[in-house]
Amino acid sequence: MQLIPPLYDPLRFLIIELQKQLELVTLFFETGEADVAERSLARVDYIDNYHLNLLNRAAAFLTEHPEPESRVAVQSYEHLNQSLKTLSRQCQAIVFQAQACRSTLKILRRKAVFKALQDLTAGLEMIEPAVESEGSSLAIDICRLKVHIDKRCDQQLDRLKKRLKKGQQTDVLLNASFVLRDISAMGEALLRIGEGIISANLGQMIQIERYHSLEATLTALELNPQQNELSIRALGETKSGCSLSGVMGADSEGEMLAVFKEGDQAKLQEEKTGIESWHQVYPGIAPKVYSYHKNGSKAALLFEYLTGDTFERLLLDKDRKLLKRGLNTLFGTLKNIWQETQAEEAQAAHYMQQLKKRLPAIFAVHPEFEHKMININGVKSHSIDNLIEACATIEDGLTVPNAVYIHGDFNLDNIIYDSVEDEVNFIDLHRSDYQDYVQDLSVLMVSCYRIANFDPKVRKLIAQTMQAIYDFGADYANQINDHSYTLRMALGLSRSFLTSTRFVLDKQHAKAMHFRARYLLEQIVRLSPQQLNHYQIPKEIFHD
Amino acid sequence: MAKKTPYFEHESLQDKDAIVSYLKAITQGFKKGAIKLSDEDEDFVLTPQAFANLKIKATQSKKGQTLNIKINWSSDQDEDADDAPLFIAPKTPKKSKNNKKSS
Repeated sequence: MQLIPPLYDPLRFLIIELQKQLELVTLFFETGEADVAERSLARVDYIDNYHLNLLNRAAAFLTEHPEPESRVAVQSYEHLNQSLKTLSRQCQAIVFQAQACRSTLKILRRKAVFKALQDLTAGLEMIEPAVESEGSSLAIDICRLKVHIDKRCDQQLDRLKKRLKKGQQTDVLLNASFVLRDISAMGEALLRIGEGIISANLGQMIQIERYHSLEATLTALELNPQQNELSIRALGETKSGCSLSGVMGADSEGEMLAVFKEGDQAKLQEEKTGIESWHQVYPGIAPKVYSYHKNGSKAALLFEYLTGDTFERLLLDKDRKLLKRGLNTLFGTLKNIWQETQAEEAQAAHYMQQLKKRLPAIFAVHPEFEHKMININGVKSHSIDNLIEACATIEDGLTVPNAVYIHGDFNLDNIIYDSVEDEVNFIDLHRSDYQDYVQDLSVLMVSCYRIANFDPKVRKLIAQTMQAIYDFGADYANQINDHSYTLRMALGLSRSFLTSTRFVLDKQHAKAMHFRARYLLEQIVRLSPQQLNHYQIPKEIFHD
Repeated sequence: MAKKTPYFEHESLQDKDAIVSYLKAITQGFKKGAIKLSDEDEDFVLTPQAFANLKIKATQSKKGQTLNIKINWSSDQDEDADDAPLFIAPKTPKKSKNNKKSS
């Protein structure tokens, strides 16, 4: 990220002080000495000073450099500043907890706890190099530490939970659980730091013009944000860097009136066009647009709030009946859309080209995926480039059915199911176009697998959902005499499995997806022309 | 009482033919879907699934050479779950105007 020496200096001192604090906390965990605890607490004042110092300097810097670019850069320093202070506060809280009950430390003197503290120490050490480097890979590593820390803390929390059930030493056990929660929260702060550095590099930090765009778009609803008649609630951020907020009326008891989306102008223009084209092609599936406002490179869109749950929610809630009903409604809707929007011509999705284009971005996050060709006593495994090349040739020879209007980013969380009305709606429509229907289905299936929830019940439902989507597609293919469905599906799945790993930081999970992608490609390459016609995707790959 | 996780380990000096027969026994086990392992304390069966992770690691140093083969797979952890499919293709498509066979 951009180095601004007057701001970077206090930030570095802050990091050094925080390192000392964490070191002393670790030592306190080891020895339990009261003196060490006090020394760790003494660091807090220094940290607060540097924090304040950075804030003052940031304000001064902005007065001297009022241009918009420096505003984004300064914001990222402020963001890091804040997250580091949060870390320090958590360190403090841990010591207070442990001091309150002496036996807490005895329970916490476990390898996993020290490992978590080591991870935090390692994370702090990585901040400076990450800030100074031009790429984001170190920052990604910092983010990744959170997963480790969480795993270790969760494992220990489970242990304490079991002991708590026995009903003895409850005070100490509860106290120790709080400490573990705090350590886990420190992992979260570390994640924020990593994210901060990444967004600084991308130049897509928090949007400062947000309030102004909101003001402009809300006039469409004849509402005024300056009067207290409505409130805004953050709903989250999209992967493309847009922010989402819900607009609620003050007198409507928290009922959501509309969704406000703000971000890059080109992206939102695409989204608006996407929504409008759906209104023409298949009315009722996309939300209504209330207003659109453009301000330089930024834009804001205000649209209808759709009631219901995303399919991701349905899966995670483990309500099999509701999920089944939702899926079948979705399938019915898709079939109608496909029948009504069938184009005159076919449009190949070129899954292998899509995959090839994304390879650098995938390798940037997972360099270990880029392995060379291997040969064990004559048994060969090709490099990913060769596999893609060979599969692309096969793909070129496939007959593709006529294009239909597809969503284009058909993830589980872009489909809303309203169980009361028993109907589905689509959101996030900036990539809709006439395409191969298998593109949407394969993306949807992989978005199921990608869910980072490892509850065996959820995993089983995920596999069953993937199977259901696959079977539905196969049934439709059968009806339209689409003979290359299975092969295109395998190529599409492979593409999505691999490209989705960019967003998966959990190493095990990313690896499982990578292996599935490779497996499908290797299988297809090995098939003889006759076998290609009867190829079946083994359903085992939907399971873990 | 907590159940002990089954554990098996074996190490010995073998000639080439014996090693091949060990590897064969394991290969056979994979084909059949069952590898029986036992010693004086333990007796259990591994059940290889249709899919598994395979890791092959080879190293070479002045002292010698090593070949590590690691195969791992996950087992169905939730056997009580409802196995009925979430989608069943309708037997007679509702709108099959063009597909009707004239017999």
